[in-house]
Amino acid sequence: MFRLLSLFRFCPLVLVCLVAGAAPLPAPAATASVPTARYWVYLRDKAGMHFEPAQYFSAPARARRLRQHLPAADSTDFPVRPDYVRGVEQASDSVLFVSRWFNAVCCRATPAQVRALRGLPGVMRVEAQTPLVLLPTAKYPAVRMSSPEPLTAAERYLARQQTASLGGQAFQKARLDGHGLRIAIFDVGFNGTDKHPAFQHLFRDKRVVATHDFVRNRESVYGGGSHGTEVLSCIAGRLPDGTPLGLAPQAEFLLARTERMLREVYVEEQDWLAAAEWADRNGADIINSSLGYTNRRYFPEQMNGRSSLVARAAGMAVRKGILVVNAAGNDGDDAEWRTIGTPADGDSVLAVGGIDPDTYLHIEFSSYGPTADRRLKPNVVAFGTVLAATPRGYEQVQGTSFASPLMAGFAACAWQQNRQLTVRQLFEQLQQAGGLYPYFDYAHGYGLPRASVFMSPHQAKIPPQVDFSKKDSLLSVIIRPEAAFLPGFPLPMFTDSVAALTPGEALKAPKLGREAIVGPAPVEAAAAPLPRPTDYLYWHVASAEGVLRRYEVREVRQRVVVQIPLRTLQSGDLVRVWFRGSMLSYLVP
Amino acid sequence: MLLLTVLVLAGLPVSTALAQRVLLQSEVASDTLYSGFGPNRGYYNHLYLGYAPVIGEASAPGAALRYGASGDFFVGIRNKVRLHQALAVGIDLRLDWLTYSLVQNAAKTVPNAQQHSTENLSLQQLQTEVFTRFNVGRRGNAIGRYLDLSGWGGYVIGSSHSYTDRPGTNGTRKTVVTERGLSYVTRWPYGVGARVGSGRYALLLRYRLSDSYRGAEKELYPEMPRWLVGLELGWL
Repeated sequence: MFRLLSLFRFCPLVLVCLVAGAAPLPAPAATASVPTARYWVYLRDKAGMHFEPAQYFSAPARARRLRQHLPAADSTDFPVRPDYVRGVEQASDSVLFVSRWFNAVCCRATPAQVRALRGLPGVMRVEAQTPLVLLPTAKYPAVRMSSPEPLTAAERYLARQQTASLGGQAFQKARLDGHGLRIAIFDVGFNGTDKHPAFQHLFRDKRVVATHDFVRNRESVYGGGSHGTEVLSCIAGRLPDGTPLGLAPQAEFLLARTERMLREVYVEEQDWLAAAEWADRNGADIINSSLGYTNRRYFPEQMNGRSSLVARAAGMAVRKGILVVNAAGNDGDDAEWRTIGTPADGDSVLAVGGIDPDTYLHIEFSSYGPTADRRLKPNVVAFGTVLAATPRGYEQVQGTSFASPLMAGFAACAWQQNRQLTVRQLFEQLQQAGGLYPYFDYAHGYGLPRASVFMSPHQAKIPPQVDFSKKDSLLSVIIRPEAAFLPGFPLPMFTDSVAALTPGEALKAPKLGREAIVGPAPVEAAAAPLPRPTDYLYWHVASAEGVLRRYEVREVRQRVVVQIPLRTLQSGDLVRVWFRGSMLSYLVP
Repeated sequence: MLLLTVLVLAGLPVSTALAQRVLLQSEVASDTLYSGFGPNRGYYNHLYLGYAPVIGEASAPGAALRYGASGDFFVGIRNKVRLHQALAVGIDLRLDWLTYSLVQNAAKTVPNAQQHSTENLSLQQLQTEVFTRFNVGRRGNAIGRYLDLSGWGGYVIGSSHSYTDRPGTNGTRKTVVTERGLSYVTRWPYGVGARVGSGRYALLLRYRLSDSYRGAEKELYPEMPRWLVGLELGWL
């Protein structure tokens, strides 16, 4: 009885403590019994600070700025004023991180201390920071799709295709393998990376340049989770027979553990920011981030590239000349979210969606665009199912987490080919390399990039393969006769009409007297071949502002392939059709 | 969501195979509609259940309780309307099974002085609770951390007094007697409450303002403990 009554008397305190993480009891100073919360203290200026870029930045970081004609340093690189930091240290419980980029200090403090912090000279504002969950964009729990070994023929085929689909052979032929590029990977951990045979070449050649665990503030990152191992393998991993799993096996790497991968683990945005500043200082050319924030803190309508600190941090990294490649997210089949996460929503972040290796079409879970402010996302796509190195060997895994590093490797090769490109030029060229460019939609972006675009930039322009026909109340898209032949499958005008065959392919009647009884033709097999990416016709309707109203992908089975009721179109709308490498547009008068 | 992805499968009927196939389709306006329903949207509802043991003492000797065995089990549906990122109001509807397990001792007076092996007073109630929710911290479409302040009331749809005697009468191993439709229990209980929670979990506290008994028994019987403290699990 006494104990129960005691519990009752204690209950109000227990109740308060449950919400005290962000609303602690007021107290004059932090003690063990007074809970603290995380806050960002934004400072006013960096007056009087001096900065020596040659001392602070590594040689690759300086070279990157020089190549891209960026100043050796700007005010965001200058250190935070130590007197301000000291003030925050004295007025708070503890300082967790100091950000040069945002001229801010992350600290733990009680509400009383926050009031004191607000009164400090140089403090512009103090913002509470809410614990977040940063969810890896891998498709969990169905990520393991195969046993670790032995590898099947299908898995070996997939391993080859995940790079071949991007034109990896063309890069290999031109000896473009990421050499001279430095890629930073932010992830939940790199279990077994240092011992895995897939990465032997990296450690043998000392190409893992630096590592840092921002969660535990230590050097080693080879624990905490294997997601980073899988991601790294999609840039630089190799099968035992030497087959590359990614396109940049000769790049250098910075490995950062920014998040935990455990149950109910909360992380903070500043880990990502801290890692980005660290990567900048250490000369990263590319950041691959297969992570994304979604509905624990944000709403889909906030995915505009401005709402989250991590998106602003990614934007700042781009300003420093770093290409940020981020997975689009795995929420495409989640009706509650569906759209990309952040920082993939950032304007200058290359968001990578996933496609199905069998159909080359959007894979179900890959998050869709556009952003909340109706910008195109994802920018490009790559395989969403890959063979990756895991601590257990090699396994087939799914997620846009793996499309992103495939693309990061691709970007490394493209940049290696022309090191004079600025990050924005590279970003544009990567989009232009998309198989659908200049067509786009919100499932595929500009499509699957092709290395051949970088190898032979002046490719012959493919003439339009379709025509528009406006008749009565319909706008029809008709495949041109010269494009109306699929290999082994001539297209009829309509599927219920008599098939039109080319003279060469027309079945010849047997000579008289030579007729023979033949079995029934394999009608279904002949009539329903598996669709090929080259047979797809993409079309969309864009508003006068360039925002898509509707988009579709169709398998071409007849020449009159699309019929759009004119009443569904508005004046100024643009109908675009992409078929076999060329795009044709129709402007609605 | 209107998105369709139709993959060609071998073995489809010929007519289907020959038709124009849409492999992927999206109407952007409708596919990007933001729902008004969700844990931190305009409206949300979800099921929940919980158990809250009775704590405290009766107002006088005579109704000592077995703690742990005396408590309130409930299941219900919660409806919440968001007014602001930090403020919401809501109403719960629930079925509630409240049991007082009486200690058998010489001082017992509820409902009589007779002693048995075990003895329970049980009330089945239909309750409703209106609450105001104060949320803490920024969050997305998630329940987040909150404090609810509420008022509740209900109707006793069933009541029973049951006891077990071991050994039973006439040489039997045990005798179980249940008396239903107790005339002396309050028909319309009501009270106030508070809840603190994070996501699907909540710690709750309820205080009954109404008396346990009515009629002559109200003066005769010691008032039952008024406090309940328990845990609640939301099915989000």
